[in-house]
Amino acid sequence: MDIGLNHYLVLSTILFSIGLVGVMRRKNLLMLFLATEILLNSVNIAFVAISHYYGDLTGQMFAFFVIAIAASEVAVGLGLLIVWHKRHNNIDLDTMSSMRG
Amino acid sequence: MLDHILSILIFFPALAGIFGLGVAKDSMRAYGTAVAFIEFALSLFLWFSFDPTVSGMQFMEELPLVPAFGINYILGVDGISLFIVVLAAFFTFIGIASLSDTKNIKNLIITLLFLQMTMVGVFLALDAIVFYLFWELSLVPMLYIIGAWGGPKRIYASVKFFLYTFTGSLVMLVGILFMAYFYYQATGVWSFAILDWYRLILPAEDLLTGDIWHMGNYQMWLFLAFFMGFAIKVPMFPFHTWLPYAHGQAPTIGSVILAAILLKMGTYALIRFLLPLFPDASVMFMFPIAILAIIMIIYTAMVAYAQEDVKQVVAYSSVSHMGVIVLGTFALNVEGISGSIFLMIGHGVVSGALFLLVGVIYDRRDTKMMKDFGGLAHVMPRYATIFGIMMMASVGLPLTINFVGEFLSLLGFYQQSHILTIFAGTAIIVGAIYMLSAYKKMFFGELTNEKNKNLPDLNKRELFALVPLVVVAIWLGIYPKPLLTPISNSVESVVQLMHDKATTDEAKRRIPSIAQEIIITKTSTKEMH
Amino acid sequence: MEIFLYTALFSPLLGSLFATLFAAKPKLLIAGIVPTLLLGVSFISSSVLLAHILSTGQVVHVEMMTWMEAGDLYIPFGFVVDQISVTMMMVVTLVSTVVHIYAIGYMDHDKSFNRFFAWLSAFVFSMLILVMSDNFAGLFIGWEGVGLCSWGLIGFWYYKESATWAANEAFIMNRIADLGMLVGIFLIYSNTGTLQYTEAFAALPSLDNETLTWMGIFLFIGAMGKSAQFPLHTWLADAMEGPTPVSALIHAATMVTAGVYLVIRANPLYDLIPQVGLFIASLGAFVAIFAASMALVNRDMKKIIAYSTLSQLGYMFAAAGLGAYWVALFHLMAHAFFKALLFLGAGNVMHAMDNELDPFKMGGLKKTMRGTFIMMTVASIALAGIFPLAGFFSKDLILEAAFVNHHYIIYSVLLFTAGLTAFYSFRLIALIFHGEQRYKIFGIHPHEAYKFMLVGMSPLLLLAIIAGSFKMPYYEMVTALLPATEYHVHSVAVYWAMTIGTQLLAASAILFAYKKYARNNIKVPDGSSAVEQTFVYKLLINQYYIPLIYEECLIKPYRTLSRVFWKEIDQKIIDASVDGIANRFYSTGEATRDMQSGNLSTMLKWMVAGLVVLLSLAVVFAFAASHPDDIKLLLSGLGVQ
Repeated sequence: MDIGLNHYLVLSTILFSIGLVGVMRRKNLLMLFLATEILLNSVNIAFVAISHYYGDLTGQMFAFFVIAIAASEVAVGLGLLIVWHKRHNNIDLDTMSSMRG
Repeated sequence: MLDHILSILIFFPALAGIFGLGVAKDSMRAYGTAVAFIEFALSLFLWFSFDPTVSGMQFMEELPLVPAFGINYILGVDGISLFIVVLAAFFTFIGIASLSDTKNIKNLIITLLFLQMTMVGVFLALDAIVFYLFWELSLVPMLYIIGAWGGPKRIYASVKFFLYTFTGSLVMLVGILFMAYFYYQATGVWSFAILDWYRLILPAEDLLTGDIWHMGNYQMWLFLAFFMGFAIKVPMFPFHTWLPYAHGQAPTIGSVILAAILLKMGTYALIRFLLPLFPDASVMFMFPIAILAIIMIIYTAMVAYAQEDVKQVVAYSSVSHMGVIVLGTFALNVEGISGSIFLMIGHGVVSGALFLLVGVIYDRRDTKMMKDFGGLAHVMPRYATIFGIMMMASVGLPLTINFVGEFLSLLGFYQQSHILTIFAGTAIIVGAIYMLSAYKKMFFGELTNEKNKNLPDLNKRELFALVPLVVVAIWLGIYPKPLLTPISNSVESVVQLMHDKATTDEAKRRIPSIAQEIIITKTSTKEMH
Repeated sequence: MEIFLYTALFSPLLGSLFATLFAAKPKLLIAGIVPTLLLGVSFISSSVLLAHILSTGQVVHVEMMTWMEAGDLYIPFGFVVDQISVTMMMVVTLVSTVVHIYAIGYMDHDKSFNRFFAWLSAFVFSMLILVMSDNFAGLFIGWEGVGLCSWGLIGFWYYKESATWAANEAFIMNRIADLGMLVGIFLIYSNTGTLQYTEAFAALPSLDNETLTWMGIFLFIGAMGKSAQFPLHTWLADAMEGPTPVSALIHAATMVTAGVYLVIRANPLYDLIPQVGLFIASLGAFVAIFAASMALVNRDMKKIIAYSTLSQLGYMFAAAGLGAYWVALFHLMAHAFFKALLFLGAGNVMHAMDNELDPFKMGGLKKTMRGTFIMMTVASIALAGIFPLAGFFSKDLILEAAFVNHHYIIYSVLLFTAGLTAFYSFRLIALIFHGEQRYKIFGIHPHEAYKFMLVGMSPLLLLAIIAGSFKMPYYEMVTALLPATEYHVHSVAVYWAMTIGTQLLAASAILFAYKKYARNNIKVPDGSSAVEQTFVYKLLINQYYIPLIYEECLIKPYRTLSRVFWKEIDQKIIDASVDGIANRFYSTGEATRDMQSGNLSTMLKWMVAGLVVLLSLAVVFAFAASHPDDIKLLLSGLGVQ
């Protein structure tokens, strides 16, 4: 069986769903980061697959952009996470509600 | 200098305000007075360079801002706006010169100078977007003045003032955008220039025969959108309730500027936008608006009579007089519109002076309740005299400034409807009732309150502010011609434009053509001799 | 001649401004003398103008400058001295000069002496504008100007509650009438295109009768206010709160006759609408008897004279309404002289009596106040219309005019009123000057007024006696402008019967008044006597309860309604609905703030939910856009257009 575009898209959808559920359900900030990474990478897979399918490099370029942004986001986010952990000694989302309106 | 005098008039106060940040606190009042005086002198210079025989725009300036969308910085002045600009400069000068000592006087003066920029800008702008910018900007300094120097409920009052007028302006903004869009559809060019819009004839339905609620009745919908913004500013009944709060809480200078100039933006815009842009819709809404205006005249005058706070009496009296102005505007003929413009000036002078006068007693006694006074004529005869003159001017006694405007406004509207004019004419009765009873409560009777026994009469600074106003109020009542001639010249061109643009029969009939009228009067006078 | 016109008009203004300079200062004699002298100048100028008109018959007309000009409207400051206005000018300047001289003595001890003269001269100026203007707008300036000065002078003693109340009442009631006047002016302008008398009157005959009727009615409403005709009459009696010279000048001789002047001036209009004229005459006759009846029982000296003024104004309107304009003007002139004299005499009595106004507390004053006694008696005889004093000639003419025009009801009402007039005038004289010296009980020590005041009053005394002899020259002069209707009863016998009958009626009324009130045992009424218990007496002393009705039915409801408008409608409905809208936004925000829990996890869930909603909307719309026909079919199947 040839692995075609559909397979990649299905994989991407599954990963996206996993990521989405993770984003919604996880209470640990670190796990939230992981879930967002899954989300981003699922999109990356879709980009690359479609790019390959059409023979257009734009999609792959976008994937690189996304990777770069994800990397910087993680760098900043982890930094904040560590500061938070040092101050409050936990990284539980339910304790972070200073933005309550 | 004459080429750019309008820009100078607008931006000089603002620039001076910025420089004012660096002026020492002690000399701030002198600095502010000097700046305001220069501005006033400039406005007088504009008046003297103004050619009263020309009915169109003068001293036009044009500078592209966003040419792709037809947004340009266009300024111009005609007989309609000239005197309101002079009035604005005059009152800023009088206001700053008479400022009593308050906290943060430096900030107050700088704010006033910025406010002056926005006010003058509104009256000189001939591009809808620029007009709108100044219109909205004017809210900010006023908000600050009420919010920072006001009475105990100042935050509520200032927020109410801001949000209420802002809401109206947003509806107006939608109207402006639609108007530009229709202009684009009709001509293929974007333009926000008012003078371009004047040439656009929008579809309208006849009130009597047409299907007026039809969506294609553009004039009506746009009229309503613009009217919403202006009506709140005027303020028309029933959108007037922000005004008593704003006046009640604002410091004296805030009330003076608000009553004398800011309210005039609304009525000025009625004449600048609504009438020439939507002549058919103006005729259509003439009677509903006239009825609102009459309710406004009588109802607010009665409310004024019930007040216990003298400042509220003056505040409600402002609303009542604005009713006469609106009525005169919707007379849609030269007498009525000229009268309403003249009454804008008159009401500016008189209500501004009355607010200054209320400020005088508030400075001395820290109260504005009339029951705390009584018999003030014993200790403050000069104050009582000037208050009396201004009261009589407010009541519209002949040979004072307000009579000319009221007379012409009512005379103008009489030609549209006899019955409604009689109702509107009750303004002279109800006006006398609240003013005289307030005056009686404050000045007549025995001096009973111990605290009033040693009140000092007007000092030099107060006299300096008030005497010019008295002079103007009487001078223009006796000799209104220097103002009335340029005003009626410009109004004639507006009325003629409306007549030419009108599409419905009703509008053609209601708006007289100047050219025809001149011929008629000429023949009729011939017949007489 | 223009120069005399200007001096006549502007010297009172100059005097007023001069006195104003010292308004807040303590008494300065010069602030009284200079305005008086300037009024003398004005009087002399008016006399010169009168001589000019008498000799040449030419009207002096000037146009000083433009006042208002907009569109077709053109109103100048124009002044005209013609036969009518010169008569008025003579009356106004003469009476006001006398009153000014008198007031120098009368206001002697008043600390606001200077302010008084500022107002009084300003009044004369306004009155002159009123009578000299050549157009309706100028008339209106004077009209409102005299109203203002009347306000300032009635409320002159501003510390008195009753005085300021009366001042405001007078001003507001006059304003009600002024609205009528203003509407009349609008009507004239919109139909004739001008406000100049000559042009407007020339255009009248071409207008239809209905328009003219409305014009006449509205102008007359204006006249009703100024001349205190029913139902706008209550202010006049209350206006007696002002200093007595003011009552003499404004509320007897000049301002209140402005309404009559207006009707006379607008005679071309009223000639065209006899039905309105008849209404004016009927109202005049009604007011004559109505006011006279109130004067019968009143116990306030000044109010009695005020009611008699009202009654005489009724006579004037009766004459003017019947088209006898020159008769009305003649009675106006004669009345101005003797009524001012009467008031000034009353002022002397008031001063002598320490401001006591109740004639029942006086009595026997003729011994101490001989000059005043003579003057007031002569003025009262003139008022009663006894031959050969001024009132006889003018009042008799009015009666004749009514009789000849076959308005017998008006005639008999006026005749009966003449009897009443004689009675109440001499009731007052008898109570003040005859009988016992009842004032002694109250510990008052009367004294005669200053000599110069009496001398100042003497021109009025003279005129009250001889004004009747001007009848023929006057008639010849004014009929150049006014309709020259002569009223002669056709049969000589009837004429003599009427005249002698009237005289007998008046004379017997006088005798009756003397008999009843010049006795020695008059008691100060205290509400116990039988007369005072009767319904009629109560009705009359309470002025037919009209002030009470106004208070209950107009003033109080107005006050309540104002309060309701403010507290209930403005604050609880209009403002509350505005705030309600604002609060709706606020409470919506308040209700949804829990969404912003600050918990990242919850917010992410909301985000996903929103995303799902938006995505599904996008899909639906994309589908709808690609299948418009199917959608239409579907919607029509569902019954939607």
